[in-house]
Amino acid sequence: MTTAILQGHADVEAERHPTDRAGYLLVAFFALPFFLFNILPVLVGVYVSFTRWSIVGTPKWVGLDNFHKAFADQWVAVAFKNVFLYGLVIVPCVTGLGLLFALFVNKRYPLSGLARTLFFAPTVVSATVIGLVWVWMLDTQYGLVNYYLSFVGFDDIPWLTSTRWSLIGVSIASVWWDLGLAFVLFLAALQDIPGEIIDAARVDGANRWQRFKHVILPHLRPVISMVVTLQLISTLRIFSQVYVMTNGGPASSSSSPIHYIYNLAIVRNLFGYAAAVSLLLFVLILAITVVQRFLLRERV
Amino acid sequence: MTDWLDQKLEARGLERADLFIWPFGMAVAVLWALPFVWMVSTSFKFPGDVMTKDIEWLPHRITLDNYIKVFNYPVIRWGFNSVVQATVSTFLCVLFGAMAGYALARMRFPGRDTLFYIFLASLMIPTEVSVIPLLLGFVEVGWASSYQALILPSIGNVFSVYIFRQFFMSFPKELEEAAKMDGAGPFNLFFRIALPLARAPAIAASVIIFTLNWNNFLWPLLVTFDESMKTLPVGIAAFTPVVGTQTQIEGYSVAMAAVTILSIPSLLLFCFLQRYFIQGLSQGSLKQ
Repeated sequence: MTTAILQGHADVEAERHPTDRAGYLLVAFFALPFFLFNILPVLVGVYVSFTRWSIVGTPKWVGLDNFHKAFADQWVAVAFKNVFLYGLVIVPCVTGLGLLFALFVNKRYPLSGLARTLFFAPTVVSATVIGLVWVWMLDTQYGLVNYYLSFVGFDDIPWLTSTRWSLIGVSIASVWWDLGLAFVLFLAALQDIPGEIIDAARVDGANRWQRFKHVILPHLRPVISMVVTLQLISTLRIFSQVYVMTNGGPASSSSSPIHYIYNLAIVRNLFGYAAAVSLLLFVLILAITVVQRFLLRERV
Repeated sequence: MTDWLDQKLEARGLERADLFIWPFGMAVAVLWALPFVWMVSTSFKFPGDVMTKDIEWLPHRITLDNYIKVFNYPVIRWGFNSVVQATVSTFLCVLFGAMAGYALARMRFPGRDTLFYIFLASLMIPTEVSVIPLLLGFVEVGWASSYQALILPSIGNVFSVYIFRQFFMSFPKELEEAAKMDGAGPFNLFFRIALPLARAPAIAASVIIFTLNWNNFLWPLLVTFDESMKTLPVGIAAFTPVVGTQTQIEGYSVAMAAVTILSIPSLLLFCFLQRYFIQGLSQGSLKQ
């Protein structure tokens, strides 16, 4: 009797909020490869970082050895210092130029569609294209960049072959490659600003700079914060263009954490150590993401 | 005269300062694309005309030799690998992403929201962290240097789920109700009613994910040990002076021909489907 009532009650419940069993099946097709190839390796990676593991033979548990080694390793220090410098050059350039280009395209000038295409185009090609084109552009003797710089009195700059310039050379190519995403995000944010607000400011006699500072910029704060974070994270992960343009050299002057991890794993077969260094990078990236979320929440 | 000019500008919502800003901005835009022009221009030059002290934007004589020389390397094989890798993983990612996005948006089951938050939170994990253990795993099961290795890890791209979930959240209920009345099951509902109407997010997800997969570099570089299993970006990367020796042998003209070939699919896709690229990207990242 009671069970029957409960049963009836459950039926009513189910009627109101029926569980779609098929939902699990529909999600499973995606969730399975996702957990197997995107999540599981991260967990396994934590284990691997506590072992000594070359590609043949069995892994050997070594506790915190890899981490001790990483903190004492001067090349880890160099790689993280470099990636800090990359961030210092690339993030402001991408954010600043991306915003300027978006402000330009957002005005309904003639041919602004063409400008949009040109600004975004480098972002869709592969790192191999970016790298090789810029190796040629930045060639010390015959490169286009040094050729035009010589007109304004510069001597040939060894962009990619000197320890002093290599990081800048790779950064130039990176800005060219990465700018598109920042540009598109700024453009979308600008188009979300109601035109009437800007017109009203104009009617009130606000000049271009005042309109930007008091009307447009406040609207852009969240998107600027997002672009800076996205670009910072993508710069922390810089690898392909480094690999193609300088292979980290000369003398590790343009290496990056991922480039060092690549060398540890592929060239030196130190998989446990490589996993440990990548875990350190992960912690750094996670910290930045959390701080950004926190800052954004504070403001809202 | 100036009144007439001011009126003209006013009608377009512009000011006098724009008369200077516009040509300057357009010049910067053209400058921004010049590396591509230089790439194509170099690729048609005779090797002897490449390393010259004077810059020749339009080559005074052109040759197709560089493009022919590129094919001395296994580019057809690399291209085939790239096409297989990029199309199969994009197709599966978009299809499975649509199914998951639909279920997460329209169906009711315990754990649904948790699952979605896990998907979103995983965006904070850089792929590079999983790359070393993933490689060890593929080597263990004997799948290194295989199509499985190239394809499987790129299926779980959360961007696809996200963009479809967004779309199906605002999908009109009535369309489903009618089909439900006729006794259509959830799979029928998805494949017959929902999916055919999701053209816009499907194109946006496809072009963006295809471009990502086509350009994917680190993973194919790590997992392909044989020359014959390399993808186009990884194979052609050996033309760079610091990694391979091809540039020393062939010079920059052949390298530029190779990267021109490599950039054509992404640039074409972008030119024709630019709207989807830009909408998809701004939707995908803005509203996280």
